[in-house]
Amino acid sequence: MKISNIILAFVFASGVWAADKKHWSFQPVKRVAVPAKSNPIDYFIGRKLRENSLTSSPKADRITLLRRATLDMTGLPPSPESVKKFVEDPRTTEIAFAEAVEGLLASPRYGERWAQHWLDVVRYADTHGFEVNTPRPNAWPYRDYVIEAFNKDIPFDQFIREQIAGDQLGKDAATGFLMTAARLLPGQIGKDTESMRLARQDELSEIVINTSEAFLGLSVGCARCHDHKFDEISAKDYYSMQAFFAGVSYGERPIQPDDSEALHKQIEELKSRVREIDRAVAGFVPLARSGVERASVNALLNVERFTPVKARKVRFTIKKTNRLEPCIDELEIFDTEGKNIALASLNVKRSASGSKVSRHHQLEFINDGKFGNARSWMCGETTGWVMLEFPAVHTIDRIVWSRDRDGKYNDRLALEYVIEVADDSGEWKVVADSTDRRSLIKIVKGIVRPGPERHGNAGFKNAYDGDVGTMTFTTNPGTTTAPQRSILAFEKGAVHNLSHIRINDIAGNDNNGPLQQITVRVTTDIDADLAARSYSDVTNLSIEMFSGDANPLPKFSITGNTIEHLDTAHDGFYSIVFDPVPGATGIELEWKNEGNFKHWTIREIEACSGALQKPKKRRSITALDPKQLAKSKALMMEKKNIESRLAEISKSRTVFGGKFGEPEPVHLLKRGDAEQPEEEVAPTVLSALGDLSLAKDAPEADRRLTLANWIASAKNPLTARVAVNRIWQFHFGAGLVLTSSDFGRNGAKPSHPELLDWLTHEFIRSGWSVKYMHKLIMLSDTYQQSSRTNEAGRKVDADSRLLWRFPSRRLEAEAIRDSILFVSGNLNFEAGGPGFSFFKSRGGLTGFPPVTEFTQREFRRMIYQHKIRMEPVPIFGAFDAPDAGQTMPRRKQSTTAIQALNLFNSPFVNDQATAFANRITKETGDDTSQQITRAFQLAFGRQPNPFEAKAAIASAKAHGLATLCRVLLNSNEFLFIP
Amino acid sequence: MKHDVSSHTLSLLNRRNFLGQSATGLGAIALTSLLSKQGLLADQPAINPGRPHAARSPHYPAKAKNVLVIFCAGACSQLETWDYKPELIKHDGKPLKNGPPVTFQGPSGNLARPQYEFRPYGQTGKMCSDMVPHLASMVDDYAFIHSLTSKSNTHGPAENFISTGFTLDGFPSMGAWITYALGSENENLPAFVAIPDPRGVPQASVNNWGPGFLPAVFQGTPFNSKQPIQNLQPPKSIAKKTDVAARDLLKLLNDQHLKRNPKDANLFARIASYELAARMQLSVPEISDLSSEPQHILNMYGADDSKNKVKADYAKNCILARRLIEKGVRFVQLFNGAYATAGQLNWDGHQKLREQYDVHGPIMDQPSAALIRDLKQRGLLKDTLILWCTEFGRMPMFQKGAKGRDHNPGGFTAVLTGAGIKPGVSHGATDELGFKAAENIHPFHDLHATMLHLLGLDHEKLTFYHNGIQRRLTDVHGNVIKGLLA
Repeated sequence: MKISNIILAFVFASGVWAADKKHWSFQPVKRVAVPAKSNPIDYFIGRKLRENSLTSSPKADRITLLRRATLDMTGLPPSPESVKKFVEDPRTTEIAFAEAVEGLLASPRYGERWAQHWLDVVRYADTHGFEVNTPRPNAWPYRDYVIEAFNKDIPFDQFIREQIAGDQLGKDAATGFLMTAARLLPGQIGKDTESMRLARQDELSEIVINTSEAFLGLSVGCARCHDHKFDEISAKDYYSMQAFFAGVSYGERPIQPDDSEALHKQIEELKSRVREIDRAVAGFVPLARSGVERASVNALLNVERFTPVKARKVRFTIKKTNRLEPCIDELEIFDTEGKNIALASLNVKRSASGSKVSRHHQLEFINDGKFGNARSWMCGETTGWVMLEFPAVHTIDRIVWSRDRDGKYNDRLALEYVIEVADDSGEWKVVADSTDRRSLIKIVKGIVRPGPERHGNAGFKNAYDGDVGTMTFTTNPGTTTAPQRSILAFEKGAVHNLSHIRINDIAGNDNNGPLQQITVRVTTDIDADLAARSYSDVTNLSIEMFSGDANPLPKFSITGNTIEHLDTAHDGFYSIVFDPVPGATGIELEWKNEGNFKHWTIREIEACSGALQKPKKRRSITALDPKQLAKSKALMMEKKNIESRLAEISKSRTVFGGKFGEPEPVHLLKRGDAEQPEEEVAPTVLSALGDLSLAKDAPEADRRLTLANWIASAKNPLTARVAVNRIWQFHFGAGLVLTSSDFGRNGAKPSHPELLDWLTHEFIRSGWSVKYMHKLIMLSDTYQQSSRTNEAGRKVDADSRLLWRFPSRRLEAEAIRDSILFVSGNLNFEAGGPGFSFFKSRGGLTGFPPVTEFTQREFRRMIYQHKIRMEPVPIFGAFDAPDAGQTMPRRKQSTTAIQALNLFNSPFVNDQATAFANRITKETGDDTSQQITRAFQLAFGRQPNPFEAKAAIASAKAHGLATLCRVLLNSNEFLFIP
Repeated sequence: MKHDVSSHTLSLLNRRNFLGQSATGLGAIALTSLLSKQGLLADQPAINPGRPHAARSPHYPAKAKNVLVIFCAGACSQLETWDYKPELIKHDGKPLKNGPPVTFQGPSGNLARPQYEFRPYGQTGKMCSDMVPHLASMVDDYAFIHSLTSKSNTHGPAENFISTGFTLDGFPSMGAWITYALGSENENLPAFVAIPDPRGVPQASVNNWGPGFLPAVFQGTPFNSKQPIQNLQPPKSIAKKTDVAARDLLKLLNDQHLKRNPKDANLFARIASYELAARMQLSVPEISDLSSEPQHILNMYGADDSKNKVKADYAKNCILARRLIEKGVRFVQLFNGAYATAGQLNWDGHQKLREQYDVHGPIMDQPSAALIRDLKQRGLLKDTLILWCTEFGRMPMFQKGAKGRDHNPGGFTAVLTGAGIKPGVSHGATDELGFKAAENIHPFHDLHATMLHLLGLDHEKLTFYHNGIQRRLTDVHGNVIKGLLA
């Protein structure tokens, strides 16, 4: 930790907290003596109960106890197995429960539950808020940081420092704390200077509000416009605090790549799944030399599959290329386990008929496991061979090779080739060759003519020359919606039977918006004037589009011959195949973008003429029946998702954690009006609590670190008290101070001031350990007492603020949803990373339409959602889930008919009820009585009583087990912390 | 802010002191919380957790029982509707002296005359534009306020401001405040309904009807004639009798559970919520089914206009609004106009105002007018306050190089009619060019205060503790506008 000693010394030197005799929370923490042998929590609670002529309740039974603790600490119900273990534990409840609590605290589920409490306080979301509410794609590292901090029990004082100044403490993601508020984007702020100054004040204000409420429990934000009405916080205090943040602006900052063990493990798991998919998909490729026509050779990826054969050597002989010497970037040979055994790292020897050597092209690159032209082998002549020899004989059944898996080059492609293997006998045997591959067709040459609205088509110049290079087109100004056209005319005199157009990598490469559409028309006219030109009957063209075998179809729809909504992220090779158009003289491209100065690129256009298979035979190109096709598509889709996830988690990241620059001068503003600046102020802590102040020109980093150290000091009377009170609140539903973000005069007084101070003292003594506080609280009789109500308690203290019973309460939105998925068996425990979405799109006219079809990804825990600010999550948002507009230090517990409708009728809950029923049937078989028992155990952690069992069996028999499951998921017992 | 300690409202719905009668035999139990013993519940609504929408008494006798807001999203120009400025006709094409060189979207152009002709209407002879002839035909019933101001010139924050009293995200909407205070006259329907425009949701979307930090039970339920309430009915795959059996079994299990945890009001409230949900399942489809409306009503609203589909759909929303008011729904918020789309789908006329308003005007005018007329002819205006409003006004200048007007939070118009409103008045005024409010200037807070006043609520007393502050719809502002009151 790089905390400057000077600054620390400074803090302590000035650390005489101005004791405000008038207000309790500003006074130093007092340690109160507790009689020996009594549990201090029970002592203080008991004393107050006696004063009110109340008594605490007897200990809850073991099932209730474990259910309470598990829901409280993990947000999920206990499994029937853990209930059984706990109930049957022969040791005393005290010992068995202490062990159970340790187990819960060690579970990663704990951090996922308790981090949500903190995210409520800081109003975390993954969008900017306000009207456009666009995503903050890199907010989530902060969310993951908070989860990790709880799981690792990072000392709470350190947790505070990291959130304010983590950039200086090696915790970049932590400063996401400073940026959690809603914010207007520059485009939403008026162009007039007044609007801009106001927006900046709003931004800074949110940081001050967050810091003071979350850590100090003081509503300093109230003093923006005037001195605080209740607390000793002046407007000057407010602006002096703002000055600590005067160099902070909203934005992203790079963070070091995370090389934590969990992440590494996750990457390995994902990679292994990719290998499985590759193998499964390869299974759909027709066997070589089986009489079925195979797809034509392509530069990106070619799969050769054959019946397993023993091999010591593999030889790849190239007889013809599309142009120049052949080039192969990688040759992979797979054994029947799906493992690539060709890698150089496995002592595989290489040889070749000859090699052309340069920086990018070397023989060693053929099996170095790296792809792309820059790591490829080039043959010495236009024909030749390359050979790999294994240290031992392997049984192989698949070879994969490519010209350039990065997709940039498609010249030097082996069109005619043969692959042979030899075992130790030395006898060569052909396993695959190009004779059963669909032949590539003749590529037509041509020239380019500009369209009427275009001047110069420099980009198109090389459209036909086979030398692939990126061509960029820019929409002219003033042509926002008008489509633009260009002609690619074929060489004069040649008569083509055009049947195939290939476009290599179409992409709108402008971040501001994709290319909207391209229309491709074939013409038989020779008039260069586009307006006067006539076309062959394009509407009757039978056009089909597919990509290379190894690529999934990209996400766009095809309407006639129009390629719409091109995906900017997509990269691939598309073919438009149609019935031959005799006498074709050119192709016209018409494209449309969303606005001025938008760019799009293609790499090459190929017009191909020659005999193609009739449409009916085209299926055999991939030799997949529709079922296989669907399955392979799904697998390829999964692979694509995994690969994008891999790319996401492997790359160096950024966090929406603020940018730190030269601090702006901060002025006191009259009535908070940015147009009425008064005196300049220096970074200074709240005058009622201290006199620590920095120079007006103090460096940015020192400012935040100084403030962080001052807040996170044991001598600050508020910080530890506020933290301890929050911990208490999330266990009991209410804090000792009911207003957990307001310890000022307008807030509530503590119900048990001595207990609060005793706990605070313990918290600091433990090194600010949150987990230690959990144990203290959960091992008390107060926590472990029954939640049953009684007449005496209800009369005096209906809310159980005095804790004469454990106050049971309804689960929060997240816990309800996660628990439903947990008992249905569908909960996906994948942790961390970018959030999943509850919505199909990002707003606008349709608002946020909910996702209605779910995959495993949407079954992750709800804390891993991509949280849309202000937008209630479908179904569960109605359960008082905060909207991240304003801070939510304590959730409300409302009960509404809409909640009932959502939980009882939504397809989601009913689907989960069905999954729950299927799970039970799978686990218990067909006996209804056993099914019912299991259902109750999973949902409630207990067996049904005879009355319930009778009703449940009757219902399950008459209406199916899923109906019972639907009822259980809606029941009070399922939804309440007992 | 009334009390030194005010945390009691946090446990609002946990309070056990207003348990209702119940079939489960709980009965009314008079329970007292520590806080209520301290006498700190004086001004707060007493909310029964089992019946959170039960009608509650206002602070003092009310003039109005229900509220209907017609909200024109995107900032409908005051200069093309209700704020007649003959001087602007004279200064057409001239620069605004000492005017701002740059406004929200960029450089200012010259002053531009109202894009519609104005003519006098009714006994009062109020000058109204040719864009709103149907609405103008009832001008004698209306009270105009021409001198409203907003705190933001950006749509989202400004819509927040109109709907919640704050520009920031996360504050309770006015409908939420009012249902929190008063409950509803009809517990079988949502107490607060938001009816989004057929073209889409407004700019600030759910903020307009959100609960903020009030309990979720007080949020608006969005639905319209095209989009029903989500999850109102079980999936089609579930047979009716299975559904009934499931309800019965749920009741049985919950009653068993309640026996083991006797007299727990939260448990009881959840049981009651399923009963209310079942009633809503019946009453909401009934109210949304417009097939019982006679032809002359459809004609009057324009709901059968086959040439203008959007208008017909908006007209159906207007009929739905009337049916909801008729059934005693407390607060209905009807939206005209959707999300910002360069003024194509809402009132945000930056570039070609006249061309776009020629589309939007007919969609809004006849159906909205029919709604007011229909409520009046059914005698419902006696109890219903109607507010026609928008998030801010528009500039008297055109934007440079454009034929439209930029955002203007400095002066805009709202129209009120119905319960407690003085008919035929025009209150406040903008300057002679319609640039800024000049006479009887009222921040929108004042309209909030006025609305609450008509409902019998003191806007300073209707509070909810949140994070150190007794929050109000009117923040720390608000004065009832006496000039609008009958």
